[in-house]
Amino acid sequence: MSPTATDPAAAPDDQASIDELMVVTLARVFDNDTKAFNGAVSFVPVAAYLLARATHAPDLVWAASSIAVDADPHELGESTLSDSIWGGCSMLTNSPFDFWSYAQGARYNTFAFRGAQMDRFGNVNNTVIGPYDNPKVRLPGGGGMADLGCMIPRIFLWSTTHDPRTFVERLDFRSGMGWGDGGDHRQRLGLPGGPRLCVTNMCVFDFHPESHGMRLRSVHPGVTPQAVQEATGFEVLLPDTDVPTTDAPTSQELRLLRDVVDPTGMRLREFR
Amino acid sequence: MTDIESPEGATTARDKVTTLDQAAESVPDGATVAIGGLSMNATPMAFVRALVRRGAKDLTLVPIVNGMAVDWLVAAGCVSRIISGLISFEGFGLAPAFRAAVQSGEVALEEYSEHLLIARCQAAAHNLPFMPTKAGLGTDVLALHPDTTRLERDPATDQPYVAATPLPIDVAVVHAHAADTVGNVRVDPKLVWMDSEIVKAADRTIVTVERIVPHAQFTAAPERTTYPRFMVDAVVETPWGAYPTSCFPDYTHDAAFFKAYSAAARDPEDFKRFFEDRVVAPPTPTAFIDSNGGAGTILDIRRRTT
Repeated sequence: MSPTATDPAAAPDDQASIDELMVVTLARVFDNDTKAFNGAVSFVPVAAYLLARATHAPDLVWAASSIAVDADPHELGESTLSDSIWGGCSMLTNSPFDFWSYAQGARYNTFAFRGAQMDRFGNVNNTVIGPYDNPKVRLPGGGGMADLGCMIPRIFLWSTTHDPRTFVERLDFRSGMGWGDGGDHRQRLGLPGGPRLCVTNMCVFDFHPESHGMRLRSVHPGVTPQAVQEATGFEVLLPDTDVPTTDAPTSQELRLLRDVVDPTGMRLREFR
Repeated sequence: MTDIESPEGATTARDKVTTLDQAAESVPDGATVAIGGLSMNATPMAFVRALVRRGAKDLTLVPIVNGMAVDWLVAAGCVSRIISGLISFEGFGLAPAFRAAVQSGEVALEEYSEHLLIARCQAAAHNLPFMPTKAGLGTDVLALHPDTTRLERDPATDQPYVAATPLPIDVAVVHAHAADTVGNVRVDPKLVWMDSEIVKAADRTIVTVERIVPHAQFTAAPERTTYPRFMVDAVVETPWGAYPTSCFPDYTHDAAFFKAYSAAARDPEDFKRFFEDRVVAPPTPTAFIDSNGGAGTILDIRRRTT
């Protein structure tokens, strides 16, 4: 996937916007064995699944809205839980019993979620700001993330609001399970895998292989590691080597994203 | 045997067709009511509006993943308790009346997750003491319900699991595409998602449908029946009964309504007026759609339905 000087069609395009960089970064880590589905307001990962399938991962499985297997929509509608993205699918999953068998049985292996707060171990809060019994802000609720964080081995996180209110030292409520308390917490609970990557509007985190704390993997163009630390409410782990800049999208990736995957720019609904 | 050549088929079973108002009357104050649909999809909104108009009180709602139905019932003061996984308008924002009532303590919210509630429905449906699941392990959700989502270990393997206990539901209300008069129901295509689980768990089920069709349509294609008549207690024919949510493939959600509702909610007086004029006051489902744009709205939604 890396661009080469001999292939002008694959030359880096400096004009990539932040939403495009986030989608392309996620798409590149979804391999050909990815079997994914999506929840509400998930334009960024949905675009990334479609882009990965259109480039390096032709066998990737994506069930639109967790319902429509192998959907091939002409564009992304205004809801990622509606039939506007089910076009061309080969199956509408009949029952919740089927879906939850595929999910809990880890036949689906990939899920991406986000939330109002995230901690260093990739746990997510989408329930309340403030105390549960006397909330300052009542948020929508964890929905399926409390389930799928436990069941799906490859978890991906994203955030379009990288600031200290989102990336916090301590969640007000743990709605979705990432690496839990860190270390071998997931293993002790009998849960498979765990979060692999967190892509934000400033940088890309992976997770330390033992402590499972968030570790800076790359910074987006113009962002310094220090700026990431200042925008993050917990101590960011640094790699042993210098932090690289996030690889730029190729012009082919940008063309596919802009013209084929998401021509109406629905992914921008996640950016305010 | 039923004669599939006969236009009406032939069945001696009891007629279950009723009206929206009678169906809403049959739900007593204080009941636990599970509401079908998923997020902005296939919610029995016409029935919910009938509950609002009858002035139901002290309801416990079980909306597993929902939005507008809950907001209406909360705004109308019908609700004392909500058992749910997620309530929002997706990209259109937070559900305003729901959010305010939970923040003020007026309504008690018991947050579960999607699958914890499905597991509780399945335990009820199967008449088992609990259904095991991995859902919620390691999250703060389990500690909210130490009696109904118990953390246990399998004695044979020592694996942790959650024992989700049966969820008692008095009435399930779901919206579907077609039914016959005796209560066989077809969902087409199968956007049943969680509806089938609440139907199996509930003591009684009310189904609103886009159309009542001859029984012979069921005998001619029995593999397409979603709920058999013995699971269904009342049938109400309500075209566009999920409006302003969607009912695929017939119609999508009304984005303009969601936007206008959210915009009105920024000011308490605006919201009171909007809710009274555009949700509560219209006396019939047709008048309700008329008060929200009528034929123009219907045509616009049809145009946007893929």
